[in-house]
Amino acid sequence: MIKIKDLEKIYRTEEIETIALNKLSMEVKEGEFVAVMGPSGCGKSTLLNILGLLDDSDGGSFVFNGIEVANFNERKRAEMRKHNIGFVFQSFNLIDELTVYENVELPLIYTGVKTADRKAKVEAVLDKMKIMHRRNHYPQQLSGGQQQRVAVARAVVNNPKLILADEPTGNLDSSNGNEVMELLTDLNEQGTTIIMVTHSEHDARFSHRIIRMLDGQTVTENILV
Amino acid sequence: MLKNYFKTAIRNLWRNKTFSLLNIAGLAIGIACAAIIFLWVEDEVTYNNYFTNKDNLYQVYENQTYDNQTFTFAATPGLLAGAIKEEIPGIKKSTRTSWQNRKLLTVGEKGIYGNGLYVDPFFISMFNLEFIKGNKTRSLDQLHSIILTQSIAERIFNTTDVVGKTVTFDNKNEYIVDGVIKDIPQNTNFGFVEWLVNFEVYFKENEWLKSWGNNGIQTYVQLDEKADKKAIDKKLYGFIQTKSKEATASPILLSANDWHLRNNFVQGKQSGGRIEQVRLFSIIAWIILLIACINFMNLATARSEKRAKEVSVRKVMGAGSRMLIFQFLMEAIFMAFIAVLLAIGITALALPSFNKLIEKDLALNLLSPLHYISLLIIGLVCGLIAGSYPAFYLGSFNPITVLKGLKLKTAGGAAFTRKGLVVTQFAISVMFIICTIIIYFQVLHTKNRELGMNKNNLINISQQLITMKQVGNMGLHFKTIKNELLATGAVQNAALSNDPAFQVGSNSSDFSWKSKNPAKEVLISMEWVTPEYINTMGMQLLAGRDFYQDGSVDSNNVLINETFAKLISKNPADAVGQIIDRDDSKLTVAGVVKDIVFNNVYGSAAPLIIFDDSKAKNTAVLTIRFKPGSDYQSALAIVKTVISKYNPEYPFEYKFVDDSFEKLFKGESLIGTLVSLFAGLAIFISCLGLFGLAAYTAERRIKEIGIRKVLGASVSGIATLLSKDFLWLVIISCVIAFPLAWYSMHTWLQRYEYRVSISWWMFAVPALIALLIAVLTVSFQAIKAAVANPVKSLRTE
Repeated sequence: MIKIKDLEKIYRTEEIETIALNKLSMEVKEGEFVAVMGPSGCGKSTLLNILGLLDDSDGGSFVFNGIEVANFNERKRAEMRKHNIGFVFQSFNLIDELTVYENVELPLIYTGVKTADRKAKVEAVLDKMKIMHRRNHYPQQLSGGQQQRVAVARAVVNNPKLILADEPTGNLDSSNGNEVMELLTDLNEQGTTIIMVTHSEHDARFSHRIIRMLDGQTVTENILV
Repeated sequence: MLKNYFKTAIRNLWRNKTFSLLNIAGLAIGIACAAIIFLWVEDEVTYNNYFTNKDNLYQVYENQTYDNQTFTFAATPGLLAGAIKEEIPGIKKSTRTSWQNRKLLTVGEKGIYGNGLYVDPFFISMFNLEFIKGNKTRSLDQLHSIILTQSIAERIFNTTDVVGKTVTFDNKNEYIVDGVIKDIPQNTNFGFVEWLVNFEVYFKENEWLKSWGNNGIQTYVQLDEKADKKAIDKKLYGFIQTKSKEATASPILLSANDWHLRNNFVQGKQSGGRIEQVRLFSIIAWIILLIACINFMNLATARSEKRAKEVSVRKVMGAGSRMLIFQFLMEAIFMAFIAVLLAIGITALALPSFNKLIEKDLALNLLSPLHYISLLIIGLVCGLIAGSYPAFYLGSFNPITVLKGLKLKTAGGAAFTRKGLVVTQFAISVMFIICTIIIYFQVLHTKNRELGMNKNNLINISQQLITMKQVGNMGLHFKTIKNELLATGAVQNAALSNDPAFQVGSNSSDFSWKSKNPAKEVLISMEWVTPEYINTMGMQLLAGRDFYQDGSVDSNNVLINETFAKLISKNPADAVGQIIDRDDSKLTVAGVVKDIVFNNVYGSAAPLIIFDDSKAKNTAVLTIRFKPGSDYQSALAIVKTVISKYNPEYPFEYKFVDDSFEKLFKGESLIGTLVSLFAGLAIFISCLGLFGLAAYTAERRIKEIGIRKVLGASVSGIATLLSKDFLWLVIISCVIAFPLAWYSMHTWLQRYEYRVSISWWMFAVPALIALLIAVLTVSFQAIKAAVANPVKSLRTE
């Protein structure tokens, strides 16, 4: 599903150049659950942003679903992104002014799903995430775990092929964290590919494979399953 | 999708009530203010639209040249209207009219003063008067016909069903009502009309109108639709000379479209007029709208960081920049329309007071397509202008940085733009304040000028003194009336004169004297008075003597003012005893009086000659001076009994001279009041913006403030730190505003001969006011930020 070869990303300011990704290569197959680990500043987030088509690279090749996307412009990336990729963030990033239902509905609106279909899809996913009873609440009225469940619901409502999770349990206590990890595992078992950035060895153990990064390169890979 | 935008917009507004209120209120006030100005502009530019023949109607003006200077008057000879209609092809209809007349209309015991005109019957069809009662085509065909307007008919008869009824006109003649017309709207040149009488009546009573050399009445013409205007102009220009070789005047036509707004003439050519004021206030309206929009932009962008997360999440979810820009534009337009609704309310509330101020009758009239379409456009334009910058600014956020919780880089461009906008707002506000002050002091300066007389405790009574061609009761019995007035004890003195105070209606260039250059024509103003006048008015004698008070004849002795005396001899006192020639008569200067202000309160004195008119042949106004400190209520009651005794038919009317004086400043005072109103609004709206911006800055620097406090900075130190930047903005605004304000006010003051000099404090005070207001606005936020617990702010990172 994802093939990356010699990927480069360099941040430049007037005085210094920071190499965030240094000719990084990796591959993720469809249906895999991959954890990316490494110390702060090793390039994990940069990698995730590029994988999520939020940012562009400065060199190398990135084939997504058999299509070379490394040289896509922003509009094309956005188009590809909204049909294929779901995001889960450490800080949930729900819109405060929208209710649970409306937050989950948002990706469907942007991909142009009709109102009637939207309702069915949103309700199905809210049901699955066990937050149906909270559908008319606003994010601030929910606990952290509930908020992250909403965020996961929003990430999967479009049936994306790939979910990118950036420290999804970082802001949660352990029991809520485990709940979220189990949700992700369930999704993976149903066929969704998941790439997760994490600091937690405990969370990483939910994945099939751990990629460890240092200074913009992958150093080791542990296969868990 | 739209529904989603709408929901977010409403919830955002609701969640940030203070912010939303500032934002919408600022815009609403701006729109309301602009709406009121535009209503006024509409009223001005649709002036005379009531006359459906407007495009073919013209008034005849005359150019007259003296000493290389061409003056343009609306006065024409009495024979002109008939002659040009007969002799110049293309002139379809013509009518003469008198000047506005105020006459007593009596039915039975009831007497009412009404304003009106003597007109030719063509007047009716030219100005397509709408008849409620009576026959339009045959109206005014008799000398004893009178047309009444609906409102005066109702006032006199309590009904409009009055055709054929009799009205006593000016306590003298019986007239038969020929027709009742709808009131002519106020925003026309004939809005004052309450009655119309056949012009022949006036013509018969004024023999002098039959001379081609005398210009005493107005002439209007209606051209054929296909008429060749240029050819008519050409024939008209030399027309009077074909009738009389001595006459010097050359008639020109002024279109009805220009009567109200473009009726100024310079050297015989049309040159502006009221249109300049209309333009000025239109510009002010747009400026105020702009200030309000700027406000909106500033507050919206300043708050944008709070919405940065929403923008980023939407982007990650698949929204493109264009979609987001669209969303924020829609939101701005939505808010603009809430503001429009609010503005309609504000306008409806403010309009009555505004109408009172400008003495007009403007109406909101939302059903008029022009009005609601204009409001829609204003809402749309304001939304687009106000929303454009925030929309593009927000739309261009990079989602990664925001979602990662990184602080947005201080967008140098955005901050600069915001500051620029604030500077613009304050520069405009400061300019308005400076203008207000200078206009106010110009008026005050002129009001306090040396008048040459004492305007207090003085009343003018005009109506019942003369009737046409004959001396009225008041003139005949003046000596008795005066003695009775003096005997009441309330009155110090009384006199008759030709004109009320501050006006002199007649002038002539027929005078000559020994030292005069015979080649040069000098226009001398003329006033006729009874001998008590100088004393009654409180005028001051500089040299020579007053008129004889004991009844001795002074018919060949005159008084002149100081300016005239200086024309005769270097030392004004030496003019006493000099001879002034006029035609065959020789006049001796008996005395010189100090200059009095007349006709143009802002001008310097013109030469004036005062004739003794003991027989009251040329007098129309009675002036009474009350004893100082007298109680006006009882004094007026006493005067009323005396006057009414000799003029029982005429209702008693009077004017206080000091009130008349105040009225002379109406135009300038009104502009002053309006500009100060706009200044207040501009500064209020600007402060709303500044308040928002200060809040934004405080929020943005919250971490810096926290660190400074942890390191030991004091509250006042931090408040100063935060306020300082804004004060610089205000200072820059002043630097921009000063030259602009100086230039515009300097230009404005050139219109007035008697004018205040612009001095430094007229700039310093507005600058201080602006600074003070800015400090108050900003310090509220600065202090709030400075006293906040630093631990809390540092934890938010």
